[in-house]
Amino acid sequence: MSTRRGVGLGAFANRNQATQSYASHGANLRSTHLSSLQTQLAVFQSLLHTFALEHSSTIKSNPTFRAEFARMCNAIGVDPLAASNIKGKNGRRGLGEGGGNFWTQILGGDMNDFYFEVAVRVVELCRETRSENGGLIGVEECRKRVGKGKAIGSGLEVTEDDILRAVKSLEPLGSGFSIVRVGQKQYIRSIPKELNTDQATVLEVIQILGYVSVSMLQLNLNWEKARSQTVIDDLLADGLVWVDAQAEEKEYWSPANLLDDSF
Amino acid sequence: MASASQLPTIPVPGTTTPFQFPPTYSFPPFFTPQPNSSTRLSQLQKWSSLIQSWCRHHRVYRLSLIEAVESPLFHNAALRKRISLSEARAILDWMARGEEEGGGGKRSEWIDGGNKTMAWIWWRRPEEWAGIIMDWVEGTGQKNMVLTVYELVEGEGTMSQEFHGMDSDIMLKSLTILVKRGKAQVFGSEGQEGVKFF
Repeated sequence: MSTRRGVGLGAFANRNQATQSYASHGANLRSTHLSSLQTQLAVFQSLLHTFALEHSSTIKSNPTFRAEFARMCNAIGVDPLAASNIKGKNGRRGLGEGGGNFWTQILGGDMNDFYFEVAVRVVELCRETRSENGGLIGVEECRKRVGKGKAIGSGLEVTEDDILRAVKSLEPLGSGFSIVRVGQKQYIRSIPKELNTDQATVLEVIQILGYVSVSMLQLNLNWEKARSQTVIDDLLADGLVWVDAQAEEKEYWSPANLLDDSF
Repeated sequence: MASASQLPTIPVPGTTTPFQFPPTYSFPPFFTPQPNSSTRLSQLQKWSSLIQSWCRHHRVYRLSLIEAVESPLFHNAALRKRISLSEARAILDWMARGEEEGGGGKRSEWIDGGNKTMAWIWWRRPEEWAGIIMDWVEGTGQKNMVLTVYELVEGEGTMSQEFHGMDSDIMLKSLTILVKRGKAQVFGSEGQEGVKFF
């Protein structure tokens, strides 16, 4: 009775004891759990290590394989880029010292280098094409262009996933590069400026129809003339659309198709 | 210019392969001057490289604007879009300015001054031609020999060269550059010039 209801001074001691034994039992459980997890992790890391070493050349050269590998890593919560950020934080320790970076250990830095190289290409491409597309370039177009390369043999076969990762790897630099989604397509935005909803809508319409005109917007979206004109003028001012004045009504086109320009 | 390295350096005389227009040519707004200044810059660059490759392909050295605006270069019949005479002038004006003046790097030059109806299109600038001619002279061991300008332009010896059949005015301009560099000497009367390379 007394044990259950805890009447009297002894109850305090009892309760203390109970909590303590619970706590120690919990700690026990946790540590066994932890050690087993640690073993698992160690085993997993060494397996991953062997795997990565064995296939490192394939990882580097085969985009599909790399994407699968990256997806696998993602699924088990290992992010190659997260690892590269850690490298940044531990940077003070110096490069030669042990290197806290999981990926550097495994692939000798190749994985990071790879994404950084892609990132450099992406930045170059965005800068080159900024005046023609207003700083908005489709991820798919970007992939094609990086794949083609500028000089002979400089093509880098990559997947969209690689491009997205590369752009993400630029984040710590505060570069203002971001991924935006408009309709069905993903774009890299290299000028840090938000698209408002109306602008995004119009770009989406252009994706589908190829071009827009003020009256098309009025008809399809039930916008007033002033609203349609304003949105278009804004897009034009940002260099996101090109105007064709030789049609019955002014037509506005997206420069996205210009990119496979071989000149 | 990137376009210079992409095309074959040795022309095949007499071939009439159709000119391959870039995708930009099928982009309707390409034919309307863009109001946004950075878009406009990109547009002018694209026009400049298109005009240069087109002239290079057709071996056009002097471009008559009146004719050009009716030709496929400035008139896309399929799209029913065209470059107006004044826009064509604006593009060539831009090309004629040096890069430091915000232009296209002196890739064109008005022949008739203020009238602006005829222009040289420098898909190779005279200095570049001078270099090419000098390379050819050295490569074929013709230093210290006397050649006529006619031979250089029309002779069998230059058949395989890009400057074969070139406008003789440009040939003389290029040779003048070599003269200034002390690499050549031009003599003889007009139309019968001879040249000696050093």
